[in-house]
Amino acid sequence: MIPLVSRAWRVLVTGFSFALFGFGGMVFALFVVPVLRCLPGEPRVREFRCQYAVHRSFKCFVRVMEFLGLLAVEVRNAERLREPGQLVVANHPTLLDVVFLVSELPQADCVVKQAVMANPFMRSTAVSSGYFANDPGDALVEACAGRLAEGRTLLLFPEGTRTDDGRLGRFRRGAAHVALRSGRPLRPVVIHCHPPSLMRGQRWYQVADRKLRIVLECCEVVAPEELPAGSGRGAAARRLSSRLRDFYAKRLQNLDS
Amino acid sequence: MPSRDEIIAMVKEVLQQEFDFADADLKLDTHLVDDLDLDSIDAIDMAVRLEERTGLHFEDDDLKSLQTIRDIVDKIDGRI
Repeated sequence: MIPLVSRAWRVLVTGFSFALFGFGGMVFALFVVPVLRCLPGEPRVREFRCQYAVHRSFKCFVRVMEFLGLLAVEVRNAERLREPGQLVVANHPTLLDVVFLVSELPQADCVVKQAVMANPFMRSTAVSSGYFANDPGDALVEACAGRLAEGRTLLLFPEGTRTDDGRLGRFRRGAAHVALRSGRPLRPVVIHCHPPSLMRGQRWYQVADRKLRIVLECCEVVAPEELPAGSGRGAAARRLSSRLRDFYAKRLQNLDS
Repeated sequence: MPSRDEIIAMVKEVLQQEFDFADADLKLDTHLVDDLDLDSIDAIDMAVRLEERTGLHFEDDDLKSLQTIRDIVDKIDGRI
């Protein structure tokens, strides 16, 4: 009986959290973003203000979910994220990964899905925050490297999307290209969710049987290797991407055990 | 004017230099995406190298139409 009641409670508060996120996003786009847009300052300053407001909102949202008993978030080596101008990369096991990470990053440029840009409310917040649409190709890599050169922090998910089973997916090479183009090392954050939940294809009411334990482990930087003479940057991106994926596979294995 | 065999060798050399592929992985019917996992950024890097070697210019539409190594060779062979 107790597990049944506990499950019903979890479904209820999960539904509430989804509704809060949707409603909160709408309120933010309708009332907060227009006010922030009216404040003086150059575009960069206004984007930072909006990013900071998103950061505070996500922080509050995480606290609400923790208060409701849905999850508990533990951030290891959080001080490593405080340094500005970093290329932060993370694996993508759950729907809320960007929320967890942005709640720890007062300033972060993000690359968002085309679907986000197509949603009028989300688009308003994304554009005002200076986020990029996920357009394939070289222009996005250049734009990302440009932001890093300006000393801004950039957040990327090398997998691009979540997997159906919560396991580590295939790494696309965009993040590696950005690291090579900008000459910046990658700051990996390993996200671990136990039990696996909020995966791709899962419905919102398919809740876990217990409170989710989310660990965000901020790791040492992974620097691109020196290019051997005559070697192309395509090969370098493949090598760096492969190293990064191996790094994640090992770290996640440690966290699992 | 280079022969078709020379064009094939040049295309393979570009792919080996740019992406470190082994010669055995590069057949005429090797699929650029399915077999070699080339993405849009790789395609641009490959096109830049091919342009340097051939003096030809590859438009975005050209790159999108290339599926296999044979397609690259045909494209160059047809233009030189």
